[in-house]
Amino acid sequence: MIEITQVTKLYYDLAALDNVSLTIPHGEVVGLLGPNGAGKTTLMKIVAGLLQPTRGHIRPSGQVWPSIGYKPERLLYPNHLRVRDYLLMTAGLSNLSGKRAEAAVDHALQQVQLNPHARKRIRQCSKGMRQRLGLAQVLIGRPALLLLDEPSSGLDLEGQQDILNTIRQIQASGRTIILSSHQLQEVTDICTYLIILNEGRVLYQDYMSEALAIRPHTIIHSDKDLTPMRDLLLRVTPHLTLEGNKLILEEEAMALRRQLMVILLNSDYDILRVDQKRTTLAELYKRVVA
Amino acid sequence: MIRRIWVLTRYLSRRGLLSLNGLLYLIGTLLFWFFFFPPQQGTPNIANYMLLIGVFGAVMAFLLTLTLATQANRAVNYPLLVRLPSRVEYLTAVLLSALFITLLLQGLVALLALYNGPAFSLRLLELPPFWLALNVLAIVLALHASDFVTDGWSRVYVYGTLAVLIVSQNGSSLIGQWVAGQLNSFSRYLIRQNMLPAGNRAAELANWIQGSGGDGLSNMLGIIFWPFQATLDAIIQGGFNAVQALAPAVLLLYATILFMLAADLFATKDIEFVE
Repeated sequence: MIEITQVTKLYYDLAALDNVSLTIPHGEVVGLLGPNGAGKTTLMKIVAGLLQPTRGHIRPSGQVWPSIGYKPERLLYPNHLRVRDYLLMTAGLSNLSGKRAEAAVDHALQQVQLNPHARKRIRQCSKGMRQRLGLAQVLIGRPALLLLDEPSSGLDLEGQQDILNTIRQIQASGRTIILSSHQLQEVTDICTYLIILNEGRVLYQDYMSEALAIRPHTIIHSDKDLTPMRDLLLRVTPHLTLEGNKLILEEEAMALRRQLMVILLNSDYDILRVDQKRTTLAELYKRVVA
Repeated sequence: MIRRIWVLTRYLSRRGLLSLNGLLYLIGTLLFWFFFFPPQQGTPNIANYMLLIGVFGAVMAFLLTLTLATQANRAVNYPLLVRLPSRVEYLTAVLLSALFITLLLQGLVALLALYNGPAFSLRLLELPPFWLALNVLAIVLALHASDFVTDGWSRVYVYGTLAVLIVSQNGSSLIGQWVAGQLNSFSRYLIRQNMLPAGNRAAELANWIQGSGGDGLSNMLGIIFWPFQATLDAIIQGGFNAVQALAPAVLLLYATILFMLAADLFATKDIEFVE
C-alpha cells in the first residue's frame, strides 16, 4: 500500500529515522514496536504527511495517496465542542454531509460504544472516552489507512479489550491499520505484520505468523534441579539453556532431544512434561532490540 | 474542497469568536468606536470615516490572524489536518475565518459610527472593495508573521524585503549618492590600474545615477507603493478616479502573491503543533 524508501529524518544532528526502508502491505494490521525514542511516532507522522523526510521518499503503491485517519498518542481535542459535533465536523472533512454524515457519526459512535455520551462536551469526557473518541473520529469516512498511536494506553483491561475488538472489526473490513504500541500482548493479538524499530532503524519486519514461527524451542520439565547436569548436557550440544528444573532446547538442538532425555533418565531424573513452544513476541522483541 | 474549507472556517471562526480573545477583540472594537467616533460629538467627515475604519480593519485583521494562526497551530488539530488532501485548504480556512471576524467587527464599528456620523451617500459604495483589499493584504502579511506558516525565515524574507523597499523609496536619493560615490572611487581605482575603458564606464554610470538614475529608481519603487498612495489620495480628494479605482485590485494582487508564497512554505513545513 505504501512504500517507504531510504527515509531519513533529522532533527538538527539527531536522526529520528535513519535510512528506513519499509513496505506497508495492503489490508494488514501493522504493529510498530520499539522502545521510547525508537522513531515510531516520527514514522507515523511522516506517513500521515505531517512531517517531511529529510532524505528518501514515501509513496503509495498505487497511483493515488490513500485517505488517512489519524489518532495521535496525546488525547487532545477541541474541548469546547460536544462529542457528536466534533465527529460531525470530521465527517464534513470527509466530504459527508446531511444524513450521510449523521449516519456515519451514529455508526462510529456505536462501534466504539460512545452513544450514551454523544451530547457531552469533550472537556467532560474521561480518558477512556477520549480514547474511544479518537478511534471514532478515525473511523468516520472509512479512510483506507488508519494510523493509531497507542490506541489503548491508559485504559483498564475492559477498555483495552473493547478497543481491540473495534480494531478487529475494522480489520475485517479490509482496511490497512498501522498501530504503535508498547503492549506486546495487544500487538500479538491483533497485528498481522510486525515492524520493530530502534534508534531510528528498522531492526525487523515480517508477517506476524513468520515472526512467531522462527526459533521454536522445546522445554523439558524434570522433577529435580538440573544444574548438576549442566556440563554433561552441554557436552552433547551447546544449544540449550538450564533454568532450575527446566531444560530449554533451541531449534538446533531439537533433533537431540531423545538423546538428552535418555541421559536425564539414566541419571535418575524423571521427565514430567515436554512442551513444544513457539517464540513469543516478547522473546523476539528482546532478542531483536538487544 | 469547498465543503472542507467551509467546515474548517466555521470551526476556526467559532473558536475565535467564542473565546476570551474574541471578547477582548469585541471590547477593543467598542473602545475604538468610543474614542475615535465619540457618539455625543459625532464625526460627519466621510473621508475620516473611510480612513479610520479602513485602518482599524487592517490592524484588526492583522491581530486576529495572529490569534487564529496560533489556535490553528495547536495539536488538537492534527486529526483534522491529516484528513485534508491539501494543506492549502487549512491555510485558506485561517484566512477566511480571520476575514469573517474582521468584517464582523469592522461592520459593527462602521454601523455604530454612522450614529451622528456621515450621511448615507453613493460614496459609501466605495468602501467594500477598499476595506476588503486592505484587510486581505493585512491577513496575508500576518500569516507570514506567525509561526504557523513556517518556522521563522519567511518573516525575515517578507518583512525584510518590505523594509528594504520602504527605505529604498524614501531614501533613494541618498542611496543613489552613496552608490554613485562608491562607483566613482571604483572608477578612479580602475584608471590607476590602467584599465581606462572600464574606469570610464564606471564613471559614466556614477554620473547617470547622480543625475536621472536616482529618480528612476525612486519612481520604480514608487509603483510598488502606488496603491496605498492612490487610495489615500482618492479618500482625501473625495472620490476614486478611473485609475485610482484599480488600487484595491492591485492590493489584492499583492495579497494573492503573498498567499501563494505562504501556501508554498506551509505545504512543505514540518507540522509540529503546540500541545
